[in-house]
Amino acid sequence: MDITFNIGGEAGQGIDTIGDLLTQVFVKSGFYTFTIKDFESRIRGGYNFSQIRVSGSPVHAPVDDIDIVVALSRDAILNKRPQLTNGGVIIFERSIGFDDLDTCHYPAPLNETAKEVGGNVRMANAAALGAVLSVLKYPFELAEEAIGGIFESKGPKVVAANVKVAKAMYDKTTDEWKGECRQNLGAVKKGPCKDRLVLTGNRALALGAKAANLKWTSAYPMSPSSSCFHDIVADAQRLTIGTIQTEDEISSICMAIGASFAGARSMVTTSGGGFSLMVEGLGLAAMAEVPIVIFNAQRPGPSTGLPTRTEQADLLFMLTASQGEFPRIMLAPKDPLEAFGIAIRALNLADMFQVPVMILGDQYFSDSSMNVPRIDVSNVEINRGQLAPNDSAEPYLRYRLTEDGISPRALPGDVGKVVVSSGNVHREDGHITEDPEVRNAMVQKSLNKMPHILRALQEPTVFGGRGADTTLLTWGSTWGAAYEAMSILSDRGVSINQLHFSDVYPLRTEVLQEVFSEAKKVVAVEQNSTSQFARLIRMETGLTVHFHVNKYDGRPMTASYIINHLKEGGIV
Amino acid sequence: MITIEQLEGVQEVTWCTGCGNFGILAALKKAVQELGFPQHEFLLVSGIGCGSKIPHYVNLNSIHALHGRAIPVAQGAHLANLDLKVIAHVGDGDTLGEGLGHLLHAARRNVNIAVFIHNNGVMGLTTGQYSPSSPRGYVSKTSPADSGAPMDPVNPIALAIAGGATLAARGFSGDQKQLTSLMSDAVKHEGFAVVDILQPCQTWNRMLTWKFYNEHTYSLQETGHDVTDKLAALEKAFSNGKKIPIGLFYKVKAPVLAENLTLPKDGRLRDHRTSMKELQAIIDELVL
Repeated sequence: MDITFNIGGEAGQGIDTIGDLLTQVFVKSGFYTFTIKDFESRIRGGYNFSQIRVSGSPVHAPVDDIDIVVALSRDAILNKRPQLTNGGVIIFERSIGFDDLDTCHYPAPLNETAKEVGGNVRMANAAALGAVLSVLKYPFELAEEAIGGIFESKGPKVVAANVKVAKAMYDKTTDEWKGECRQNLGAVKKGPCKDRLVLTGNRALALGAKAANLKWTSAYPMSPSSSCFHDIVADAQRLTIGTIQTEDEISSICMAIGASFAGARSMVTTSGGGFSLMVEGLGLAAMAEVPIVIFNAQRPGPSTGLPTRTEQADLLFMLTASQGEFPRIMLAPKDPLEAFGIAIRALNLADMFQVPVMILGDQYFSDSSMNVPRIDVSNVEINRGQLAPNDSAEPYLRYRLTEDGISPRALPGDVGKVVVSSGNVHREDGHITEDPEVRNAMVQKSLNKMPHILRALQEPTVFGGRGADTTLLTWGSTWGAAYEAMSILSDRGVSINQLHFSDVYPLRTEVLQEVFSEAKKVVAVEQNSTSQFARLIRMETGLTVHFHVNKYDGRPMTASYIINHLKEGGIV
Repeated sequence: MITIEQLEGVQEVTWCTGCGNFGILAALKKAVQELGFPQHEFLLVSGIGCGSKIPHYVNLNSIHALHGRAIPVAQGAHLANLDLKVIAHVGDGDTLGEGLGHLLHAARRNVNIAVFIHNNGVMGLTTGQYSPSSPRGYVSKTSPADSGAPMDPVNPIALAIAGGATLAARGFSGDQKQLTSLMSDAVKHEGFAVVDILQPCQTWNRMLTWKFYNEHTYSLQETGHDVTDKLAALEKAFSNGKKIPIGLFYKVKAPVLAENLTLPKDGRLRDHRTSMKELQAIIDELVL
């Protein structure tokens, strides 16, 4: 079983609620789910959708073919009709008055049923669930539980009314609709998946940061990063995390630098435009060696670009952002589950090496969700890096020259120490200088960190076995679509594997060199127009990829998109 | 009490002879001594400019940050450790120019830090261009040839009060006694405290000289000014004509930012450890 639902309509019509109801039903019935959100930068109207893929085996990306469309607006029908599979069904709100009917269409009286049975048109969401389950011949009992889960906080009356509406619509659909749906789940009932924690990338990242003892976040709202900030603020009271919405992103990062300098683990959340403002703060953090984690949920640029869409085009900008040269770490989670661990590693690495750590997500990563196993936080390891001893008789030197370039930290407020720090070139004691020898020593100090950082990062992962003829090269969130493309092609007998980087900089090159020498063709698959990661690899190693699959329309990559481009290019 | 030897700066002062910053440094050292807090509890956060080099001339915790951004850095450090007495040393080019927004928003938050503006009405370290607080008509390399600086200066006291600062004062580098007392008041004050400090720039500014300030300033406190009266304070703030008032303009009590953030009830944010039990409960609530 592998079904894709697309729930489309105007902003504000409740498409997310219908999506959440469907997700609840299928997660609780033991299926793997993967949901993407596609929406415009507006609060009301327009055309938005939520697309949920449900499968009996793990799924990692959206697909282009849709089995069930739930349309609350005319646009939602017209936009998705071309992607409907044979035997797929379009359920749409009857009052739209769409009359270009086909047997696969069902004009469902969602609003009318909600009003008549539940007394409130808002219960049309529950009605939609009823219609979908009926079309699939799925047992209604499972809907009851899902409705209970979603509306629990609104009280038993609301739950009961919604259940009633859903049941009425379920029965009405069974009576009225004479079409045939390819997907018949009458016999399926329970799936094999036990994963009941539904996480978006942003939520997983926020949870990881919380688990890593995040103590400070200052941010300015910006799509698609905002929900990460919302999640941190939502639990700030329970977990004691200092948070503030600042006047701009310059203030966000500078406050976080102040908080981190004074000892609180700090992270900022933003998108590319906000990161542009943060760049001078990035340089200060680097020069003053104040640990900081910056999460950039990328969206298509330049400038405002496509505010609610996806792209991986800030890689080289973040790699070189700020004047001057300094070590930095860049991590890009491949999916929500990995994001949890990456947030923990990012905060640890920032403290261990006293450098800026940047997490590169994107709208697709940020807003898409999947069900993962329950996360157990009892074994989270926190590494605050080297701290200066309390009993030293010597005056404290914040920038003491050491072999590995890392100077043990003390914090302002520590008894018996004076902690002096500066964004100017400084001496070991933190006071400023223009002495050329000290400048050289301090630059060397920062360079000395690099091999240690590199050793602390992870090698890329090879999926699909070593020694294939064709290698798909990916980083960050394009992992899922490329993994599925690789799996499909591999099943068809193509000799193909995937080399994936989640730790993108500094670049570990051992496995990279081996895989490049094994493959006849290496294909860069990136959600940008200039294959930035492939360029980074060429810059660092001189190695060149043979073919590029790029996507820059702001919509996420799919396996079929990749396969089509590989075919067109004669690669497979 | 901290001795003057303990405060002795580790670096040689680089300011020009006769610079108004010397008076500010001397007053700061006196204020720090008078305040009586332990040395490790002070934190100076400075911007970029001549005055912002002050952390290198007094032996206290410090971070010499970015042009215009000292106030955000200072707020973050304060909130991570409420025991620190955080003082932002900033210049007029720095905080009244690039950082003006931060000044106003920090004032609005009534965050409990002190801001000392080294205000010499000129961009000193970048060789004398007009600054946001240069007088109208100030002639420099970057002002129009005929008119000089073609606009009126920023009014830091009025902006601070309008922004929500709960202490606003103006000191003069040449009046040590009053400046020391204003600095102490600002550090002790529970809330956002701004001290606009008039200081001549011997090298560049030929309008705002020692002579000018000595002849044109008078003590606000000798006029019976009510420091709790916002409108009276604003009226005084706008009276920068022939006679410039110095002293305490405004001082009131209001809730400070830290009271309403999710900071630890006891102890410092920097030392707080998140409860893994609570976090596990949050995760388990998300499980369907």
